[in-house]
Amino acid sequence: MSQNQPAIEVSHLRKVFHIPQRDPGLGGAVKALFRPRYAEKVAVDDISFSVPPGEIVGYIGVNGAGKSTTIKMLTGILAPTAGLVRVLGRDPHKERVANARQIGVVFGQRTQLWWDLALVESLNLIARIYEVEPKRYKELLEQFSYTLELGELLAKPVRQMSLGQKMRAELAATLIHEPRVVYLDEPTIGLDVVVKEKIRAFIKEQNRAKGTTVVLTTHDLGDIEELCSRVIIIDAGRVIYDGPLATIRERFGKYRGITFETARPLEHPLTLPPGAEVVGQEERRLELRFDRTRASASQVAAAVMGQLEVLDFSLSEPDLTSIVKQIYGGALSEARPV
Amino acid sequence: MARYASLYGLFLLQRFKVLLEYRLNFLIGASSTVFVQAAGIATLWVVMRQVPSLNGWSFDELLLVYGLLTASRSIEHMFADNLWTIGRQYIRSGGFDRFLVRPIDPLFHLLADRFNHDGIGNFVIGTLLVVSAWASLGIPLLPLYVLYAVLAVLSGGAIFIALNLLTATTAFWIVESVPVTRAVHEMHEFAKYPLSMYHKGIQAALTWLIPYGFASFYPASYLLGRDVGWLVWAGPAVALVLLLVAYRFWLFGLRHYSGTGS
Repeated sequence: MSQNQPAIEVSHLRKVFHIPQRDPGLGGAVKALFRPRYAEKVAVDDISFSVPPGEIVGYIGVNGAGKSTTIKMLTGILAPTAGLVRVLGRDPHKERVANARQIGVVFGQRTQLWWDLALVESLNLIARIYEVEPKRYKELLEQFSYTLELGELLAKPVRQMSLGQKMRAELAATLIHEPRVVYLDEPTIGLDVVVKEKIRAFIKEQNRAKGTTVVLTTHDLGDIEELCSRVIIIDAGRVIYDGPLATIRERFGKYRGITFETARPLEHPLTLPPGAEVVGQEERRLELRFDRTRASASQVAAAVMGQLEVLDFSLSEPDLTSIVKQIYGGALSEARPV
Repeated sequence: MARYASLYGLFLLQRFKVLLEYRLNFLIGASSTVFVQAAGIATLWVVMRQVPSLNGWSFDELLLVYGLLTASRSIEHMFADNLWTIGRQYIRSGGFDRFLVRPIDPLFHLLADRFNHDGIGNFVIGTLLVVSAWASLGIPLLPLYVLYAVLAVLSGGAIFIALNLLTATTAFWIVESVPVTRAVHEMHEFAKYPLSMYHKGIQAALTWLIPYGFASFYPASYLLGRDVGWLVWAGPAVALVLLLVAYRFWLFGLRHYSGTGS
């Protein structure tokens, strides 16, 4: 493989599922048996992108956008309906075994370790499956034990591990054969801040030391901010944004939310500084958002406090999900990076 | 091939480590089948106390048939038990995808993933029945006969595995494949007795369609010197053809899976 060849190349990728349709009841079941009808569901419509070796890409989108279908085609699990996929120059589906040697996959909350086996036994088995050279395996095991703090976990079966321990174990299992391309599906979901930090640091370190290419799907803006130089956002099976994180934040993260708890319900309309608006209102709760390029949090807070008795208020950063929604809701043209 | 053999050895070793951790569970599992088999044999014994021969077969001869079938089945039970739960445990949960991102054959991975120790009890019972029937019937201990019996049990085991592979593959379409597997598998109950006592249609079905007859009746007939024709030699060939057909069907199912996912 030449140095300039992309690690991942996807061009006009498409995946259509045929979902069997049947009427309710026994009659429907019998009819479906003899005359099956299918509905077409386009999971991936037309996706193209290319990832150079050593890049960490955030691959994001709302649930059902086509993220996992794309990942399944990249890993060789699913065959594309149309279009081209190349991972390190190979067709991952047709050359499934050769591709499998070069990739590592963490599938969200599904473990790839054996439930009842002590972690070290699981790792031994995986190393043998991938034919990791024994001496190298020993070195890596030592390295991972240190960086992922596996020490006391090695003798523990997965079923006894906490969520954070499981994810550390999972990462060790995924990277023990030193894959050149790694797919991580929600690697920090449900973890506390400290563990999240450890995991991000480990991914960063692997990427830096070995030039590992990483495709990361996540709902966590922190993962993306810390790891990804580039983000691909997909929706309804299409790429709606492909560019640096900075541009998304500038364009779509410009709103911040501010929520007030008031002593009495709001009775008359509020006068607000330019760029601020009410987005939600309950009995004694008031949700606003404001464009931070036009107004500051203190201006908005002062304006509200001047008109209402406020008991408490809090500020929130826009999360990625709402940014994705925003982009999808018509801001597409703005999103193209220059 | 050597790589897969050593990998299987490692899977097996890990499995036994887990089983030894749950020693009681292991003992209960491995011996529970003994009780089930004991009940089956006791029934046979009670019946044979009343009628000295069933369709011209003595109690010991029936035990030989029963023993050969039990030993054959134990091979599937030990080495291919995961075929039963492929839909429920692997396809529905998405766990099957894990096999597809590893650089080994997914069917090998599925089978190697869980050796079932419950089959050990069946294997011991089946072997003991064959050995004791062999002794009481005075079958000569010729190398040819011993080799024949071993090959018959292996072929029988392969037939059990092939039929389960055929039916388990339906999981790629219907996910929950257990009812299909069970429907076909239960036909082996017929083969616990000599096929000659059944209607011609059932005999044909158990020879050509769901050929469990090759796991019990045909090899027993040969060992007992009963003339049932050339079919006594057909077991290994039938097993091989059936395995090939089942494996082709498995590959077809796998292609369907990569088209649709779970």
